[in-house]
Amino acid sequence: MEKRKTLIAISLILIFFIIYFLQSNFFSWFTIAGIKPNIFVILALFIGLFLGRKYGLCFGIIYGFFLDSLIGRNIGTSSLMLGIIGLIGGYIDKNFSKDNRLMIMAMVAITTIIYEIGLYIIQSIILKYQIEQINILIKTLVIEIIYNIIITIIIYPLIKKGGYYVEGIFKENNILTRYF
Amino acid sequence: MYNNKKGGTIGIIITIVILILLVILSNSKLSDISYLGNAINTIVMPIQNGYTYLKNKISGNTGFFTNIEELSSENDNLKRENSELEQKLRELEIIKAENITLREYLNLTEKYTSYTTTPAYIINKDTSNYSSTFVINVGSNDGIKENMAVIADKGLVGHVVSVTSNTAKVQTIIDPSSAVSVIFKSTGDNAICKGSISTNSLKATYISTGAEILENDTIETSGMGGIYPKGIMIGTVSKIENTKNVIDKYAIIKPAVDFNKLETVLVIIK
Repeated sequence: MEKRKTLIAISLILIFFIIYFLQSNFFSWFTIAGIKPNIFVILALFIGLFLGRKYGLCFGIIYGFFLDSLIGRNIGTSSLMLGIIGLIGGYIDKNFSKDNRLMIMAMVAITTIIYEIGLYIIQSIILKYQIEQINILIKTLVIEIIYNIIITIIIYPLIKKGGYYVEGIFKENNILTRYF
Repeated sequence: MYNNKKGGTIGIIITIVILILLVILSNSKLSDISYLGNAINTIVMPIQNGYTYLKNKISGNTGFFTNIEELSSENDNLKRENSELEQKLRELEIIKAENITLREYLNLTEKYTSYTTTPAYIINKDTSNYSSTFVINVGSNDGIKENMAVIADKGLVGHVVSVTSNTAKVQTIIDPSSAVSVIFKSTGDNAICKGSISTNSLKATYISTGAEILENDTIETSGMGGIYPKGIMIGTVSKIENTKNVIDKYAIIKPAVDFNKLETVLVIIK
């Protein structure tokens, strides 16, 4: 079982790099009105949802670290925000169903808002710039949320299949506690 | 809904199609979607050819098809010739692409002869919508250091924020945290040009109260601040916003460089 867990963890790191190349190449031109989606948020959220708070937080921080060192201006900002998203995913899993499509769409929308606004505020404090042009910020955010939701709808059946398999391995001991 | 497998699959397919259409429509002009015309032509052409053949036959223009054997050998020769030509064409395409890149480098270097520069390729772009940085394929091994200015053929791009041995991270002037000291070319007034979330505009602030700025005036770097050398083109004034308070006056600047299509840049070493 431990071997399987390690394999899954390695696969999740590989998935991050696949998404990274997609995000920085494919999605830099496959945009809606010039706006890219943010698949890292979706990934961190679903890890939190299926693997629980602890793993959600860990993977969020690891992904954020990779992201910061690959393209970011300072180490730690994306780590913090993606960690929070993973943690939120874990909390949501305790209280809501993962099978409701509307619920999933709402989760993606809320976590995208939290991640982007949180990151923008932290960056503006660290890099010392004023938050301006709120209208453009909102417009960008709305399009990004819609894009993220569309992508989630497309890949959700796949995530669900893989997610329940992984959940079975990682939550073998406490799977029943959710229902009693 | 996902329990209904058939319905779910159809739903996903429809969503993907809508998404692709949405992306294409929001990003392309009519001239860019000539491939649609090509696709339609592919469907229409066989019918059109059949129609023309019938028309020729009826009007007695059938002599062309009489000597079939001769035509068949000629056809074989032409096919062979065609594949040879295609091969040559592919080779030429590669040479052409190489030539374009070299020309770009040459143009850039010739334009900024007063600076010692290193050409670089953009190898990675920012994944976020709220910042604008990219990674180039030169690093400390090529003499790149932090705070070196980066330019393109049309004007200023940004500056180097961090360096590894083979790559360097560049913050562009359209990044929200970027601020460049600029000068209005025709009036000589100073301002600070800040980046914004929008990829196609900059904001010139701290304009002196007596300044008479003009629309379409070009702005250049002023040389103050120690990062950017003087006289590098930044863009043109597209709009002047007069606020109630004169000291809050600002101008919207259209950058000279198209950051969406940027592929090659020059790093100013000296």
